[in-house]
Amino acid sequence: MDTVTLTIDGRSITVAKGTTVLQAAIEHGIQIPYYCYHPALGIDGSCRVCLVKIEKMPKLQTACSTLCADGMVVDTQSPEVVEARAGVFEFLLINHPLDCPVCDKGGECPLQDYSYTFGPDASRMDFPRRTFDGEGAGADVDFGPTLLINRNRCILCSRCVRFMRDIDGDPQIGIEDRGNGSHIVTFQDKGVHSILSGNLMDVCPVGALLARDYRFKSRPWDNPIAVDTVCTLCAKGCSITAWLRAKPEWAKGPRLARVTPRYNPQVNDYWMCDIGRFEYHFTESDRRLRRPLRRTDDGVLQPEGWRGVLARLREEFEAADTPGERRTIAFLASAHASIEELVVLGQIARALNGEGAERQVGVSWRVSEKPQPAGTKFKVPRVDAPNVAGAIDLGVGAPPLEDGGPDLSALKAQVEAGRVDVLYVLDPGPAGSIGDLSWVIEARAQGRIRLLVVQGVLMTDLAAAADLVLPGATYLEKDACYTNEQGIVQAASRAIAPPGDAMEDWQILVNVGAALGAGVAWASTAEIRADVAAAMPDRPGYADLPRLAFAKPAIARTWLQTSNPSERWKWDALFKDLPPVKFKGKAETSPRRDLDD
Amino acid sequence: MTFHPEMRYEEGLHVSRRERRDEGEPFAFTPENRQRLEAIASHYPPEHRRSAVIPALYLVQDQQGYVTASAIRHVASVIGCTEAEVDDVVTYYAMFFRKPVGRYVIQVCRTLSCALRGAERVAAELKRALGVEVGQTDPTGTFTLMEMECLGACDRAPVVMVNNELWHECQSPDQVGAMLDGLREKGPAALTGCHLEVEKKRGPAGP
Repeated sequence: MDTVTLTIDGRSITVAKGTTVLQAAIEHGIQIPYYCYHPALGIDGSCRVCLVKIEKMPKLQTACSTLCADGMVVDTQSPEVVEARAGVFEFLLINHPLDCPVCDKGGECPLQDYSYTFGPDASRMDFPRRTFDGEGAGADVDFGPTLLINRNRCILCSRCVRFMRDIDGDPQIGIEDRGNGSHIVTFQDKGVHSILSGNLMDVCPVGALLARDYRFKSRPWDNPIAVDTVCTLCAKGCSITAWLRAKPEWAKGPRLARVTPRYNPQVNDYWMCDIGRFEYHFTESDRRLRRPLRRTDDGVLQPEGWRGVLARLREEFEAADTPGERRTIAFLASAHASIEELVVLGQIARALNGEGAERQVGVSWRVSEKPQPAGTKFKVPRVDAPNVAGAIDLGVGAPPLEDGGPDLSALKAQVEAGRVDVLYVLDPGPAGSIGDLSWVIEARAQGRIRLLVVQGVLMTDLAAAADLVLPGATYLEKDACYTNEQGIVQAASRAIAPPGDAMEDWQILVNVGAALGAGVAWASTAEIRADVAAAMPDRPGYADLPRLAFAKPAIARTWLQTSNPSERWKWDALFKDLPPVKFKGKAETSPRRDLDD
Repeated sequence: MTFHPEMRYEEGLHVSRRERRDEGEPFAFTPENRQRLEAIASHYPPEHRRSAVIPALYLVQDQQGYVTASAIRHVASVIGCTEAEVDDVVTYYAMFFRKPVGRYVIQVCRTLSCALRGAERVAAELKRALGVEVGQTDPTGTFTLMEMECLGACDRAPVVMVNNELWHECQSPDQVGAMLDGLREKGPAALTGCHLEVEKKRGPAGP
């Protein structure tokens, strides 16, 4: 690979040919501020804050759009640069309102931090600010089903325009008018309608694009704990960070503040879809199952202890019509079940129904079309479950149908024929993600199934029809592994504890296995993973399972730090409270120089 | 869309006060204009068909005088890009009108050369004669007055451009009334035209 060697701030740096000065500086931890540059969105050169002095060039250059050349001498700290940069920041703040206390971005805003570090102390602007829709948060106006826009705060970096054009593939955002009147719009204010719209809030370097979901909910310093995990709401398995509010568990309100994407070039780059970003709320919703439930003789679901429920399950299972025989039991798992859970379930099925019975376990999921533009760079899969590939690899359940849907015909036929006395359903996903199970509810209502056991997380129609309900944990409440559609085995980490008496699903399954006399003896998920790895030594993803690391909750500093490694440097630097880089000339001592003269 | 069911759009809570574009009558190019557009678009590679956006918008103005939202939709579908992109172009350039204009759009150059030669007085005289402010159309719907930046005919300043293509050069304030009357009576023929074209027509042996 061709390389070039240049000098930045007296340091000799060697980078690949074709690298820009800004990229070279980022790679080597040299501070140059920037807004419009984004590693995934390319170069625009519209914000002008990355000005640097390059020897033999008559004027200051924007580092983001200047290619490195051999022997180039770049200075980012000369008085000329410092003054020009401060001038750009003064211009950016001419119309930017100082409403940081009511702005969602306040506290993690690059404009705030950079203005402090590189900007002038005071503005010399004597005229009122230009406004578009009012003052302060009153200027937040509709920008689609998920977003609001505050045009006063916009600095016209055009990252959102480029995101829609380059990544989403449907340029719905444009810049209307010119000069001082330029503002970000959608045609006729119809808003952004895209399944990737939440990313616009991430790429916005100021508080102009706001998510309705997060607006006024929290401040960055109120959610200081971050857990690096994996989203499991579809087959893609994006790397995400779950943000936790600093509050005791017993205090009112949810602990999860938001979910943001985490850079992973193999899977999701810098992005995630709106489903993962906004639908995590079911984890802490009012419909969560908190205690095991048992249907009484009056037909009402009543809370019951774990012992009572398991004893009842055993009773029902063993109370056969013919003495000395057991009732027939069948298993149906959502593809939201993790690798560990599928392994335990397969083991129970094998122990109760004989060798090869794990093949008869029904594995179900939902397939839904997500309308997306043809040219999109981020395709959201049709399958709404994280572990379909994992179930296939483990040999649990039947292979999927040609259209990607689950093949439940064998189980369905058995149920319709009345050959299933007990149906055990494992459904740790959000409502409806297991697919259409109305036939199960109907079969129970008509008595073709004698006992319906549902291990799930939400009070869905299915759980409401069940005789025994066992409260499990969602993907944010357990350490578990999933295989995404590319066949990558990923670890989803535990961010919060399951509510009430709910337990992690593998643990429930082990207890159920013991109650049914199936004899499963795993004491931890690590043991399960070790067994899977031992059974599949030739599959790299699975053979490495024991070495897969689960993240622990960590004190976070900002979202950019985890979402965008190329911007990470600036947070590492800025949060050390660097002394401001400021011009000590006339401009600062006499803020109204033009009027005094 | 199935996701975020709790987020309904247009609840009336955060409606922008921004002025929206005139929706206008349903718009479609006439067959002749469509043919002209296809002829223009054939100059560009098929994958860059959207480059024809500016000629397409001129054709819209030829057809209905100004650019409405439904015209933007039509142009977007004909040249294969999104409405937002066409809207960008329409709002960026001053020669696309977003409101109805008169039969003659009089654009007075106000950049340096013309300003030195009295363009401001020309504009003031036009305002007085028509009884309108800059940007307005007179009550008869014949004239719209606008001020423009450099039109590129500095040697014959002050210059007035009519309807984006017709020129009137060496316009002095006291001739404004004559120019308006000429336009009313004889139409574009009353204008001096661009001196380069006039000289070309006269041939090399001209005066």
